[in-house]
Amino acid sequence: MKAEQVKVCILRMEGTNCEQETYDAFKRLGASPEFVHLKQLEGRDTNEGENRSLEDFHILMFPGGFSAGDYIRAGAIFAARLKASIKDDMVKFIEDGKAVGGFCNGFQIMVELGILPAFDSTMIEHPDAVLHANDSGTFECRPTLLKHVNKGKCVWTTKLDEGELRLIPSAHAEGKFMLPHGSQEKEDALYQRLFDEDRIVFRYADTEGDTDAAYPFNPNGSRFNIAGLTNDKGNVFGMMPHPERVFFRNTHPDWLRNRIGPSEGDGRSVFESVIEYVMENF
Amino acid sequence: MDISHLFEDLELDTPVRRVLLSKATDDELMAITEAMAIGLSVDEMQRVKDHFKEENRDPFDIELEALGQAWSEHCCYKSSKYFMKKSFIGVEAPQNLVLGEDAGVVEFDDEHVYCVGLESHNHPSAIGPYGGSATGVGGIVRDVLCMGSQPIAVIDPLFFGPLDTPIGDVPDGTNHPKFIYSGVVAGIRDYGNRIGIPTVAGMVNFHPGYTGNPLVNVGCVGIGRKEHVIHSRVGGPGEIYILAGGRTGRDGIHGVTFASADLSADSEEKDRGSVQLGDPITKEPLIHSCLEMNEKGLLRGMKDLGGGGLSCVSGEMALDGGAGAVIHLDRIPLKEKGLAPWEIWVSESQERMMVSVLPKDVDAVLHIFKKWDVEAVVIGDVVEGKRVKALWKGETILDLDLEFFTAGPEYCRIYESRKVDRSVPDTPFEQLDRTELEGTLLSLLASPNICSKEPVFRTYDHEVRGRTVVKPAVGLPFTPGPSDAAVIKPLEDSNKGLAISADVNPYFCEIDPYRGTLSAMEESMRNIVAIGAYPHSVTDCLNFGNPEKPDRLGDFEQACEAIGDFAKHFTIPVVSGNVSLYNESDIGKVPPTPTIMMIGLMDDVHNATTSDLKKEGNIIYLLGRTSEEMGGSAFYRHMEAECSCVPNVDLDLSQKISEAIFEMNLEGQLSAVHDLSEGGLAIAISEMCIGGHIGVDINIRRIGSFSEDEGIPLRNDVKLFSESNSRYLIEVPVQLALKVEDCLSRHEAPYEKLGTVRDEGLRITDGEDVLMDIPVEVLDHQWRNGLTSIMEGSE
Repeated sequence: MKAEQVKVCILRMEGTNCEQETYDAFKRLGASPEFVHLKQLEGRDTNEGENRSLEDFHILMFPGGFSAGDYIRAGAIFAARLKASIKDDMVKFIEDGKAVGGFCNGFQIMVELGILPAFDSTMIEHPDAVLHANDSGTFECRPTLLKHVNKGKCVWTTKLDEGELRLIPSAHAEGKFMLPHGSQEKEDALYQRLFDEDRIVFRYADTEGDTDAAYPFNPNGSRFNIAGLTNDKGNVFGMMPHPERVFFRNTHPDWLRNRIGPSEGDGRSVFESVIEYVMENF
Repeated sequence: MDISHLFEDLELDTPVRRVLLSKATDDELMAITEAMAIGLSVDEMQRVKDHFKEENRDPFDIELEALGQAWSEHCCYKSSKYFMKKSFIGVEAPQNLVLGEDAGVVEFDDEHVYCVGLESHNHPSAIGPYGGSATGVGGIVRDVLCMGSQPIAVIDPLFFGPLDTPIGDVPDGTNHPKFIYSGVVAGIRDYGNRIGIPTVAGMVNFHPGYTGNPLVNVGCVGIGRKEHVIHSRVGGPGEIYILAGGRTGRDGIHGVTFASADLSADSEEKDRGSVQLGDPITKEPLIHSCLEMNEKGLLRGMKDLGGGGLSCVSGEMALDGGAGAVIHLDRIPLKEKGLAPWEIWVSESQERMMVSVLPKDVDAVLHIFKKWDVEAVVIGDVVEGKRVKALWKGETILDLDLEFFTAGPEYCRIYESRKVDRSVPDTPFEQLDRTELEGTLLSLLASPNICSKEPVFRTYDHEVRGRTVVKPAVGLPFTPGPSDAAVIKPLEDSNKGLAISADVNPYFCEIDPYRGTLSAMEESMRNIVAIGAYPHSVTDCLNFGNPEKPDRLGDFEQACEAIGDFAKHFTIPVVSGNVSLYNESDIGKVPPTPTIMMIGLMDDVHNATTSDLKKEGNIIYLLGRTSEEMGGSAFYRHMEAECSCVPNVDLDLSQKISEAIFEMNLEGQLSAVHDLSEGGLAIAISEMCIGGHIGVDINIRRIGSFSEDEGIPLRNDVKLFSESNSRYLIEVPVQLALKVEDCLSRHEAPYEKLGTVRDEGLRITDGEDVLMDIPVEVLDHQWRNGLTSIMEGSE
């Protein structure tokens, strides 16, 4: 398949607001992204020709933002509406090996939907993890350094080497990844599974690459500095930081310190990886 | 006074009263305006009475409410217009101003315009800091949106009383500055972040004069295609009015009349209902839907409902399009039952937009709103003639001559401009020794007006949309320094950049409004020039006291003159603006605060230069002239010394230096640039060290000895802390030093080579004397934690 045949559904509803830069990232690499409002998948209040079906796409993208204002819990309303309308389509989409990704609010929606971490099935009924309020208690927009720790499972980061550091910014109020399962033993065991099953993709690190680094390197207090995860198949991927904001070097916070550098930003490879995955497999 | 006999109920299923102005005496006229809280003076009421006499009838209450709102200071600028026209409105400039309506629209490149507006939301933020600041953002974003442009940046200059003000010093009925500060910042955070527009610049200033009356100014910049610029007026008769967005409620009733009076001890109680409530999740889809239908060419006119509500918008849109309007008030979607028609008519509820469309496009427009779940209804028609009518179930309850309605009074009130005696000698004090100088620098670095504002701007998403190329913080990612201006790269296919800066120093303005305002203009320009852009347009928000007091109005007049003098010299047009008067409370007026927001352009964002020092061995130069103008300076305030001489601006010198910087930036000769402002040289060089996490070794002996000041050596504390305008520090690689010196000489820009960047602390000497030697970590700690320690340490 050619890049232009890779169809990307940039899903939005009220409060989604990182859709333009997410769209731009796919477009710049030659893929064919389309903005799709949730109602176009639900078939509600739409005219003829406006309805869309998930099966027409290869990549489903949940952009960042504040879907429905994040008023109940970040991502909860968007997830509830999706489950009520196109749950089966989504399960099939994932089981067909197509790619699903979410950044920031997108990641929160995916956790609420039960497709991440989704320990024992494609989409579980009740979320098995939570992205809790940051330890600082407030929204924070700051640079974060991510260590790519995935050993090859995640199709969204195949262009990154294991151990590589990437400067990709964070901007959220609820990003502390937790696995609240009642007892410390159960939780520890689940974290162990994430490590054993190569499900952890990015961890916050300091400039030395230390993944135990505390605030501000770990902006929210996530245990094990977890910043991004994939599902068991490796095709569903969510992360709190925003790779779409650093597609080019000129949106890095320190790019003017070294004028003769690459023009590619640290987030670009995420998009390149998933487009290549679709081109090779569909 | 009993005036009940002057009101007559109409037989309708909703409360509407006829007000018998024809039978009222002057005292009774006053009693009517007070009872209805419409804020008109007795002269103005007399004018209204005469008008209705000509029409051979008495007005309905809704008509008086409409006039009270339209003729308020906030809506018609009746006290301020005279001075602005005299000074700076219509300054001739080469910039291609497309139009100035709700916001200024200026040419960005051959195909695009940028759109800019700045507004105050002061009184609502004093009463309800969270809601007040949030709706401030909402209002200015709508102003930019309704010109047909995509909002791309929010800017928020904020002014509060000191965070450590003792509880006892806060006037009755007023919130503590700490409460107001926290609420205002949280309001901007929660609203700005939710609508997905980055908050990229601003300022946070503390001054005791804001304790009773904080100032919340909010600006917005948008970008659009030239052919999508849309007017805030109807196309002509036959069109249909559609009202979209939030529902109408009792929030924000009398908001503009409230903004046009002083705050008082009972404001908290009495004016609570004047504060509107914002809803970002109605706004966000409203932005998408309005832009979508505008791009599809479905709209003939669009205007947001801000201060003035349905009343002002339906009338002004029609009149400006040479038409009249008929509105069906019973069709307006309401938040709650039981609103009287006059409340519906003047409510300032947020998130509402009026569009005027051709009958054939009504269905398409309603469909787009529906797709985004934005409530929208057809509420009336654009008609021939110059009257606006409001109907309740077919019954006419308002029928106003639009020319009378919109022609608010204009006054040239009495004003007294103060005479500043700049020759008053300074309070004398001994020169400081090294320990004292080091201690002073560290105190100033941690002081509220100089320290890092990271605790504020980190809570704003300044990167959403992915186009913020220079952010509020620059330098090393995890220990950054301050940025002089933000730079946005608005377009996908062009590297052209838009730089934004906002500034004013109220400590200068309170001593000398003219020089203070001139300094605000120059500081904004320095920020733009330092970052590598050229200044292109100005927007102002003029926050002053009660214009009915001649000294307040005198300060206002001086500020307008300064804006005009600067704008004319540099041919930078003032493209939009806002005036906020009556900023007074029981403890007096706010310092004169002319907030200046400047927009600069740069052909390629890759020419931007930031303030953080880059490399060991590079040379540091000081540009400009340092003088003993210590009035209002951070150093003198720290020393509790007084001085009436505020820094002046030498417009010719300012131009020479800024042109030199612009050229050197363009040639890529500068590694770092930072302008000198509050705290002078010592603070500016410290900030450069912090951002680059590297030190300098500089000698200040020759400062002040160039040009005409030769002969009288300046004291070393003046050299370190003077806040003279038109000065910059630049960092230059050794191999480019000759080129840089040549450029500076060519532009006749005074400069002094101070020293070099080194891999140790900040070391400043004066000849042989070491004045300071401080590790960068110590500077960083003081500066970075200043605001947090004040917040945690205060009561």
